[in-house]
Amino acid sequence: MSLADGSDLREGSTIGLPRGLHHYDLYPFWRTFLEDIGFRVVVSPPTCRRLVEQGCAAAADEACLPVKTFYGHVMDLRWNVEAVFVPRLVSLRPGTYTCPKMLGLPDMVRQNVRGMPRVVTADFDETRPGRGLLEAGVFLARRLGRSRALAKRALAKACGALRAFRGSLEAGASFDEAAGEAIRLGQATPRGANRPRPAQAAPMDPGTDRPDLSPEAKGCARRLPPRNGKVRVGVIGHSYNIFDAGVSLGLMEKLSRLECHLVTSEMLTEEEVQAESSRLPKEIFWSAGRRVLASATKFRREGLVDGVVHVVSFGCGPDSMVGEIAERETRRYSDIPYLAVTIDEHTAEAGLVTRLEAFVDMLERRRRRTRT
Amino acid sequence: MRVTFPHMGNIWIIVKTVLEDLGLEVLVPPRPNPKSLEAGVRHSPEFACFPLKLNIGDFVGALDQGAEAIVMAGGIGPCRLGHYAQVEAQVLKDLGYSAEMVVLEPPRGRFPQLWDKIRYLTGHRPVGRVIGALRFGWEKLKALDELDKVLALGRPAEAVRGSAAAAHRRAVASVCQAASIAGTRKAARAGAEDIALTAGASSGSVTLGPPRSRPLRVGVVGEVFMIQEPFANQEVERRLGEMGVETRRALYLSDWVRMHLLPPPVGLGARRRVRRIREAARPYLRHFVGGEGLDSVGEAVLHESELYDGVIHIAPFTCMPEIVAASLLPEVSRDLGIPVLSLFLDEHTGEAGLVTRLEAFVDLLERRRAVREGRADRQGIRLRGDAPAGGHGGHPVASRPSSPTPREAHGCPLVGFSGWRRGPR
Ligand code: SF4
Ligand code: SF4
Repeated sequence: MSLADGSDLREGSTIGLPRGLHHYDLYPFWRTFLEDIGFRVVVSPPTCRRLVEQGCAAAADEACLPVKTFYGHVMDLRWNVEAVFVPRLVSLRPGTYTCPKMLGLPDMVRQNVRGMPRVVTADFDETRPGRGLLEAGVFLARRLGRSRALAKRALAKACGALRAFRGSLEAGASFDEAAGEAIRLGQATPRGANRPRPAQAAPMDPGTDRPDLSPEAKGCARRLPPRNGKVRVGVIGHSYNIFDAGVSLGLMEKLSRLECHLVTSEMLTEEEVQAESSRLPKEIFWSAGRRVLASATKFRREGLVDGVVHVVSFGCGPDSMVGEIAERETRRYSDIPYLAVTIDEHTAEAGLVTRLEAFVDMLERRRRRTRT
Repeated sequence: MRVTFPHMGNIWIIVKTVLEDLGLEVLVPPRPNPKSLEAGVRHSPEFACFPLKLNIGDFVGALDQGAEAIVMAGGIGPCRLGHYAQVEAQVLKDLGYSAEMVVLEPPRGRFPQLWDKIRYLTGHRPVGRVIGALRFGWEKLKALDELDKVLALGRPAEAVRGSAAAAHRRAVASVCQAASIAGTRKAARAGAEDIALTAGASSGSVTLGPPRSRPLRVGVVGEVFMIQEPFANQEVERRLGEMGVETRRALYLSDWVRMHLLPPPVGLGARRRVRRIREAARPYLRHFVGGEGLDSVGEAVLHESELYDGVIHIAPFTCMPEIVAASLLPEVSRDLGIPVLSLFLDEHTGEAGLVTRLEAFVDLLERRRAVREGRADRQGIRLRGDAPAGGHGGHPVASRPSSPTPREAHGCPLVGFSGWRRGPR
């Protein structure tokens, strides 16, 4: 089957961005890029029960909650847009892959969701030369009938937006703040900016307020607010599990309501992730898993947190491996408590609250004990 | 150094042959059994894939018997196999074992890495010796696969239940004992004849009843470990065989070696098959997804044109590539009219439920055959050549909730590019 021609998707055609999975890593990039090559971008509404349920009905039973939720978002968009954008993100960094389910994503939604308009897709693969985010972006724009020059300009802006987005996340902003600001900023970025490798996010200047830490440790520690007697919880997990309250059952909000400071795995810069990963005998080859393990290791080695909460989707393949290594190492080499929260569409919110409360209580008791 | 390795079907015979031929002391773990499974499940991560749990069970069994090093396969992603060794090392470490783990990884573009590991393992024995050992192992692998194929055809024909399997066991034992390439070949030939004769001769005496049409033929696709290891797949092939169904695995290990390890002239046919599988999968899945996900889809499509009666898709619970395949197989089934049964198995899978599903599936295949041969009414049965079902649930095995909107075959149009047939420049 050959691909349909997309050149009738003219200026002002609406294209839908499903608010799920890679959305939480790359939204400012896609939005800036697509708008600049002349689309009207529609984003699906925040995840809600109804979306999750319709996604569960269309996706295979065995799929994980984030994938099912993604289906829900696609289904919500399908009647209102001329095309839905579902890129195939094979790899966002040389030597790493995303999850196999993301590799199959455009095919899965295209086949499984009824009444779909067109699916706009492209393979983005940094493991192969000439097929990375930028090269494939240009090629996709060409396929959609846009000029190469226009595509390049749009991509440069998109890179600026992505850098700004990562910068805000690393400074501890919420997803909405970071994305909103980045999209505005991205529009103001001069063209000809660098490649969008998250690896090149602006490095933070090393802090001076923690002389006890090694220089490389200061990056993340510097950005953390003082504890002020509160416990500090490290939340590790994939971006969509951390930021999508509909998928994580509002875990982040519940934790902050329990009066604790939160540090997330999204706050590590790419350099920090790289530094931690290179200590391993074999680097994790899933980009999200790599970050999860790196944050767990960093939190443990530098004693940055009082406890670790790992948000896992039920049946998640990468996390079943990465989480196991993280948990075992945390337990073996430190006494930092580690809580793995497994979430699927049947998880009850009440039970989750109870578990988090008990965990934070325990952390507070431990903290008081060590201080007296 | 006593080395051990994980089980996967009959592969232990080959690994043992090769390693012993290289002068290593080999400790074969006990075959997977309920006890080793229990140990594996207890010590492994809860959501790890099923094969990993069985591996842990094997290792614990072997290490308790005094093994000192483990030879393990690795990978480079995107599927979990690539991190099996790391997780297993963690688990074993926490259990207090101190075994060395030698991971054989497919070379990332370069062969030497793998070669170095082999040389390390073998204590730098002469190259000729290593190659000779590998050749010997290869011969045994081919022989064992051949015997499995003969058994899968012989079983449906046998009149005395288990007679073909008994002959197969004898044949495997003699291949296992063969001490040379020529001996292996001879044992394989004799064994195959034995199985065929046992099955054929015992069925030859039964002449009552209407003459049977050819047996139903089912292709077994899915994750490679689950297909090869009868303990893991709850002996699906035996069960189907005993229901009178011929089975054929989409992938025998020798095919895998041909496709991925042997230099081009030898593996040419297998490589051609790989290309055909990819082509066949293309309308449904345009990119590899790790593991055997793409192959499962492609094989299912090819099986339709190869006149198989149905496809059984076997995967471990939570297996990512096969979840992608399982999402697409109902569509393949709907479009092409070939029944597909997806089975996700793990330690919680009950035997009764599995048997019921297999029986229902075989029933469906029987009815389709009866319709095809004009012996029964259609009653909603779709055959090859029929137009794709309009709505949903047209196929009893395509378990998808119905939706009001019919759609064209092969899903909605795709815009952009995918599969990189034509490069970006
Ligand atoms: S990484 Fe895990 S949660 Fe994310 S899509 Fe893959 S299996 Fe699902
Ligand atoms: S193919 Fe499936 S079962 Fe095999 S390692 Fe990968 S995820 Fe696990």
